[in-house]
Amino acid sequence: MTDFLQVVVVGLGNGAVYAMLGLGLVVIYRSTGLLNFAQGELAMFSTFIVWTIWNAGVPMWLAVIGGMAGGFLIGTLLHQVAVSPIGDPHEKPLAVVIVTIGLFLALNGAAQLIWGTVDRRLEPLFGLDQVTIGGVAIQWQKIGAGLVLAALVAAFSLLFQKTKVGLAMRAVASNSESAGLCGVPVPRILMLGWGLAAATGTLAGVFTAPQVGLGTNLMQLTLIFGFAAITLGGFDSVAGAVIGGLVVGVLSSVVPQYVSVFERMPLAPALILILAVLLFRPEGLFGSKQVNRV
Amino acid sequence: MRSHTPAWLRWGGFTLLMLVMIALPFMNEAFRVNQFIKWMCLAVAAAGLNLLTGYNGQISVGHGALYGLGAYTSALIVVHSTMPMLLTIIVAAVVCFAAGVLIGVPALRIRGLYLALVTLAVAVLFPAIIEQFSSLTGGRSGLSMSVPQADCPRGRAECPIRWEPPIDGLAEDQWRYFIVLAITVAVFVLTANVVRSRVGRSLVAIRDNEIAADTSGINVSRTKIITFGLSAAVAGIGGAMLALLNGNPRVNPGSFELLVSIYLLVAVVVGGPATIIGPAIGAAIYGIFTDVIAPELPGNFENATPVILGVLLVVQMLIAPNGIAGQFKDLQAHIAARRNASGEGPGDGEGESGNAGARQEIANPGGTPT
Repeated sequence: MTDFLQVVVVGLGNGAVYAMLGLGLVVIYRSTGLLNFAQGELAMFSTFIVWTIWNAGVPMWLAVIGGMAGGFLIGTLLHQVAVSPIGDPHEKPLAVVIVTIGLFLALNGAAQLIWGTVDRRLEPLFGLDQVTIGGVAIQWQKIGAGLVLAALVAAFSLLFQKTKVGLAMRAVASNSESAGLCGVPVPRILMLGWGLAAATGTLAGVFTAPQVGLGTNLMQLTLIFGFAAITLGGFDSVAGAVIGGLVVGVLSSVVPQYVSVFERMPLAPALILILAVLLFRPEGLFGSKQVNRV
Repeated sequence: MRSHTPAWLRWGGFTLLMLVMIALPFMNEAFRVNQFIKWMCLAVAAAGLNLLTGYNGQISVGHGALYGLGAYTSALIVVHSTMPMLLTIIVAAVVCFAAGVLIGVPALRIRGLYLALVTLAVAVLFPAIIEQFSSLTGGRSGLSMSVPQADCPRGRAECPIRWEPPIDGLAEDQWRYFIVLAITVAVFVLTANVVRSRVGRSLVAIRDNEIAADTSGINVSRTKIITFGLSAAVAGIGGAMLALLNGNPRVNPGSFELLVSIYLLVAVVVGGPATIIGPAIGAAIYGIFTDVIAPELPGNFENATPVILGVLLVVQMLIAPNGIAGQFKDLQAHIAARRNASGEGPGDGEGESGNAGARQEIANPGGTPT
């Protein structure tokens, strides 16, 4: 039983990180209706920025804030330069996939050019210590991930529900044309969405890097887990991303432990989950149903 | 699918291309010939992806996995049986066809961005599957292909697969090159015929408007599943050729990572989706970038290829979404429209060119499904 709880706790910790990346994906999907395949690489890139600042002797928490700011800038820039010229993503899915994959390649390559191919070591934000509760060891890093996730959800809920900017974002997501006619600066709102998503991704990267080493393929697995999370939760639901992330985290931690076929591929349960959800309940648990007009 | 290219230009171009392709291995060193072989394998796999993504509008970011499946199928058969090596390529195609159909069935209900997402997951999963079954596949370090041979001095492990040239004076690499060239040409001719057939027209019809295609009597589900299978089979042929003929008798999961899937998509999109020759042009451009230009770049910038490719991809998608071959087709259609317009009486010119414009739209609906 203790073993099982231990595996679950590890899964919850990972799940919190998937949820963070998933939140970024949801923010972009809500405002622009596109799945951002470059989200993981954006997070990787800004995590390298965090490392650079931290490596220069700045305290970790300050470096993280710096990295988030850098991510925000890069996110807004990429949206302006590459994504917004595509036009309506629903009409041209191939163009969206290609452009975000182009960004994926470019960011990955740029990181390799700047920081090289050797993995860097990033210190855990919450240290290496752990507490033991009822025989289950919990790293502070995992607890920290949960707290950061909670803070993010609170911040996003406040933003969406209580602020004028959040209201504008919701208006754009619901009907960008009408929102524009009412005086909402649609392009600037979309740009803000990309910036926020990139900044959120930075946090996911900062929590992933100490575990797997900071290299250019840092977020490729996490991206798939993040996608699995928002597929389960619903592409446009903040709460869905969180619950989906935690479920995916626990699944991909528990299943490989007890099913030997999946031993070396924690990704397989996630893929099966994505497939099953898309096939049988495409809107996810909390998402809104899509209706296509002919 | 009416083409504006005159017959003499078409055949002349084909002959010229063939002559150049035949001359190439005699004008280059062995290492370069081996690189050409890899480019052709990539071109074949891209041609498979083009059937699915270019013509049928089903976006796959996971064809690297099918490419790898073909490679591993061939390699495993060669290691564990005495089947002639070329025959294993056909088996690989059949296995990949089955795999494609398996993915194609759920793909009926998943489309657009979401299909891209599922196939992306398949692409990331493939190397992990290879490592999971390491007792069979050799895991991360790869599977070396060696066969028992009578004149093998030190047993099985010391005797990697070889392709003996049947003619004196032909080097081993040149012989492999010609085998790959023959299969590549066969695959491209075959896809050209599929595309121009009734099936090919229904592929495009489904991409452009699924409901309209359905009402016109096309069996949409069956066509989509078969396309997925066919596309996978062609990708598998590419992979099998890569495994057996690239000069290194070893396959390893590192050759079939996510990036390969992405490069296949790059080849299709840059070359020209929904054109026959597009994937070949795209694969050649990718090859020239990584194998010819990148090593010449000074020091650190050798790693710049992904950045350049990525930026190129974004820029191209924004200014010329039909790819290189697509741009060429547009240009031809434009010239043909001009000629038609000037052929008619001056009073009729306006209406005629408008009509030609509409025909251009049909002749080249472009890579982006609308």
